[in-house]
Parts: sequence; structure tokens; C-alpha cells
Amino acid sequence: MRYITIALAKGRLAELSVEILERAGVDCSELKNSSRKLILTDEKNKIRFFLAKPSDVPVYVEYGAADIGIVGKDTLLEEGRDLYEVLNLGFAKCKMCVAGPKELEGRMDSITITRVATKYPEVARMYFRHKRKESVEIIKLSGSVELAPLVGLSDVIVDLVETGRTLKENGLVILDTIADISARMVVNRVSMKIENERITGLIEAIRKNL
Amino acid sequence: MKRWNLYTPEGVQDILFDDCRRKRILEGRIRDSFRLNGYKELETPTIEFFDVFGSDGGFINQESMYKFCDSKGRLLVLRPDLTIPVARIAATKLKDEDFPLKCFYIGNTFSFDQLGGGRQNEFTQAGCEILGVNSIEADAEVVAMAIEIIKTTGIEEFQIDIGQVEFFKGIMEESGLSEDEVEEVRELIDLKDFVGVEQVMDQHKVRAELKNLILDLPRLFGSKDILNRIDLNRVGERAAKALLNIKAIIEILEDRNLDKYVSIDLGMVQSMNYYTSIVFRGYTYGVGFPVLSGGRYDKLVSRFGRECAATGFSLGINMVMMALERQRKLEDVAEGGFLVTYEPGARKLASCLCRELIEKGLPAQMDIQLKSLDDTVQYAKRKGISRVICVKEDGSKKEIVL
Repeated sequence: MRYITIALAKGRLAELSVEILERAGVDCSELKNSSRKLILTDEKNKIRFFLAKPSDVPVYVEYGAADIGIVGKDTLLEEGRDLYEVLNLGFAKCKMCVAGPKELEGRMDSITITRVATKYPEVARMYFRHKRKESVEIIKLSGSVELAPLVGLSDVIVDLVETGRTLKENGLVILDTIADISARMVVNRVSMKIENERITGLIEAIRKNL
Repeated sequence: MKRWNLYTPEGVQDILFDDCRRKRILEGRIRDSFRLNGYKELETPTIEFFDVFGSDGGFINQESMYKFCDSKGRLLVLRPDLTIPVARIAATKLKDEDFPLKCFYIGNTFSFDQLGGGRQNEFTQAGCEILGVNSIEADAEVVAMAIEIIKTTGIEEFQIDIGQVEFFKGIMEESGLSEDEVEEVRELIDLKDFVGVEQVMDQHKVRAELKNLILDLPRLFGSKDILNRIDLNRVGERAAKALLNIKAIIEILEDRNLDKYVSIDLGMVQSMNYYTSIVFRGYTYGVGFPVLSGGRYDKLVSRFGRECAATGFSLGINMVMMALERQRKLEDVAEGGFLVTYEPGARKLASCLCRELIEKGLPAQMDIQLKSLDDTVQYAKRKGISRVICVKEDGSKKEIVL
């Protein structure tokens, strides 16, 4: 039997992923006693795991280097890879939003936005192109995106909003919601077909235990 | 100005020696196989007018084509596809041909799509088309040919998934969703996004039975038993016809003893505007993308002014090479052969000997370095040559087997 390879997004998402995999009967002990090994295995079920940077998970899965990936919908939207998105795992919930200064609240349709700061340039570009049919300048930042409208770098931001507290403390409000975000299970298009039984079995086991 | 002289553009590659030899062998086998099965080869130009692929109603996105101009300022492209040129030929050049016509091609295509995992901007495709006949026999023939071609490449474990775009279109027609909503559902089904499909369907009043079927669509893939799970009387005439079509094709494949390679995917809903009936894809281990795709496209030829049914497939040779490499099935292509060296004065004899060997069909080459015998033997070893023959001045020969 071939190994089925699962790519997990490093960090909190990986811990939560381990929980649901264990509930589905996958042995993650080697993964939990995290050593320096890069690839960990569950010999009984012939499953291999590895941890990768979240934005790399869809890449591994698309190329077939991993059969399955567990990663946030935000990363999937940004990477735009050609994958099967088979399961909403429901954890790590938040929203992808357009946010800006309070003065803009309720005026999204009447103002012209020219500059948008974000960690998610592709998501922002798609939203402004398809939903709003506007050409905007996208400014890619790596963190603390909320700062951008405050110092005049951009008119609005596109970012993940979990509780909304950071926005509020900085006088920003949500102007529009782009998408609901949570952890998703993705599968390579070829693996889904060629290892149909095992992968479908695993999906079902996880679904039942969500 | 010479900043780029050391590099090749993105997505193209030099294919050297052993890989090149393997590729040629592979192409040769594919060519023989098509020919033995009654297909005729054709070649189309590498450059074509943009309008062939991309004007109104075209099937290829303009941003994925390499474009340039001819001397009159008309827009040209490097061909992004080989089926569309065949459709152009079918409509414009084959007026006197007796249809049906079975043809095949092997050639390079070009597009600016995503790279990696075996995908290149320049890639070799081998494919075939059957023109001028709309029958289940022709559809089954093309699937059978696809199976034969994959086997020819040396890939043993593979699977052909068959879908039917009319099934999806029929169900959507029954559901009464608007065009935009259908497109949204199509995208979600294509991603096997079960939740997304459910969210969209919850916003619409569709009769329960049909709704459940739509929600189930992303899951409707696997063995052919799936076809029996659907009640033909409840899906509408168009979708029922599509299912009967697949069943009939599978029956023909069963008769040919090929059904073990085939499975079903009713949620295969990509390229809906191109294909009009059966669609199929070929998968194997080791590569994350299909190695082959095809289907029936009866509306394509009419874009060029003539009604003509057509069905066919194309195989990505680069993708197959990558699969063979990952599956450790690459052939040893070392030529072995002879290296003929000689002592001063024996040059004439040596070159006669070398000629004789080549005429017998054995790989042989003259020594062009004339170093010591030891050095020559070492050189031959490094080059994978299996025998060194040294012709002595007195005409005697010493053969060293490596």
C-alpha cells in the first residue's frame, strides 16, 4: 500500500488539525512528540505527515507532493490553486473583510478607492476586479495592516478579522465582508481519483467526528 | 544588452541526450500505435492567426497566449492547442475527404499557464481526433485509443475518468437557476466544495429530489455503479439521455475488455463551453495533474463555417515523462557500442572496421583523441561505450570488453 501524504499548516492550525485527525482514528503520536524529523508517519494506516508554511500547503497539494492538505480558506483564496476543497473543518473561524476609517462606513458604493493595503494581494485584486469592477493600486504588506490607513498609505485595507478588536481600537470599521474563513481540507485532483477509497474513507471519518 | 544571453525564457527547457532519446522513443511508439489503429498523421503550423483561438467565441484566454505580429500588423500566436487547428482544417481543407476521418498529431504547444509539477509553457502534445461522426462507437473508440496510448508509454497503473457535460447541463436546466448561478454551482462542483454547493442551493427553491442530486454531484465519482444510483425518470430528459450515453459507451468498452481502466465522474464539469457530450481524463501515480484529456466537441468545427461532429483527446508527453520518472520506469537508453582506436599506420583498416560495424546497425565511432590505450578505455567507460577495439599496425585487433 502506498503512503497517503498529508501537509499541515504550521502553527495553531496544525494543533487543531491533529485533534480532528486523532478523533478520526489516525495515529498522530509521532507528530505530537515533535522531534526534528520533517516527515512523520502513522505506519498502521500508512499515512505520512509534514508541516509546511501555510501558504506552501496548497502548492504541495496541487503538485501532488502531498495528497491532502489542511489549511485556512484565506490561504486557499490567496493562492488560487487548482484543488478539491472537500471539507470545511469549521475551526480557526474568521472573516476576510474590507476595512477602513469610520468616515467611510456605509459609503462604500459612493467613494472611489484608489489604494488598498493588504497581506492578501490576490484576494484584494479579485474582489475589486470582479465584485466592484474597479482598478485599484494594491500595496502588499507583511503585517500590522491596520496601520496603513492611519498613516495615509492606503484608503482601505483587506484583512482577516476575528473579533474586530484591533480594528475598533484603531478607529477602523468593517466596510464589506469578502468571505467567511475557516480551516479546510483540500485534496489533490489526481489523488482523489486514484486513491478514492482511502481518501473518501478518511474524509468521512473526519466529517463524522467534527 | 547581453544580460539574458545565458538563460532560457521561463517555462521552456533544453532536453538533453538520454531524456531526449527517451522522448523520441516515446513519440515513436505513440506514432506507431496511432498509425496501426488507422489514424493518419498531420502537421499544422507553429504560428497561427490570433483569431483562430481567441476572437469572439474563442476558447483560449488571450492572456495565456504568446502573441506577436506579422509584417502586415496582424496578430499572430504560437499555437496554444492542437485540436483547434485540426478543427480549422476540418472546416476549410477537407471538403473532398470521405468522413469519418481519423487523424493524429504530435507537436509542441505554447501557453502562459501556471508552471511546475510537469507543466511547462512549451509542451509536447500527442493526440487524435475522429471527425465527421457522432456515434457512441466513435466515443468508445477514442477512449479505447486513449487507453492504448497510455499503455504504449509504459505506464501500467492508470485510470480514465469519464464524465458527461450534458448531464450537468440537463440538471441545471431542470433546476431553473439563472446562467450566473449555474456558473457559480459549476465552479463549486468542479472544486468538490460540498459546503459551497449546499450554501448556494439553500438560497433557491428547487424540488427536493433534484436538490439532493445537485448536492451529491461532487460525490458522484468512482466505479460505474454510480450510474445505477440515479433514477433516470427523475432527472429530466436531457440528463437521462446523457446517462444512457455514458452507459452505452461503457458497454462497448466492456466488450473490448477495457472497462477495468475506466471510472465515472459526473462532477467533471470543467471546460463546459468546449465539450458538448462525453469528457474524459487520464490519471496516473506520481504526477498531480491529468496526463490526458479529451471528449466530444461537436460545436468547435462550426466556428470555422462547417458543421462537423468531432471527438478526440490529447496526451501531455512531458507529463508522461515525469510520471515515468517518478514511477521509476525510465528506460535505460545507453547505446553501448564500439569505440575503434588504432595504432599509427592502421587508420585505414580501423575506419573500414568502424564503417562495417555501423552498416551492420551497431553503434560505433572512431577514436578522435588518440591518447594512450588506458586513457581511451577510461574515456569509453565514462561514455557508457561497451567495447573498445584497437587496430594494430600489423592489422591484428585487440578487443577490450568494458
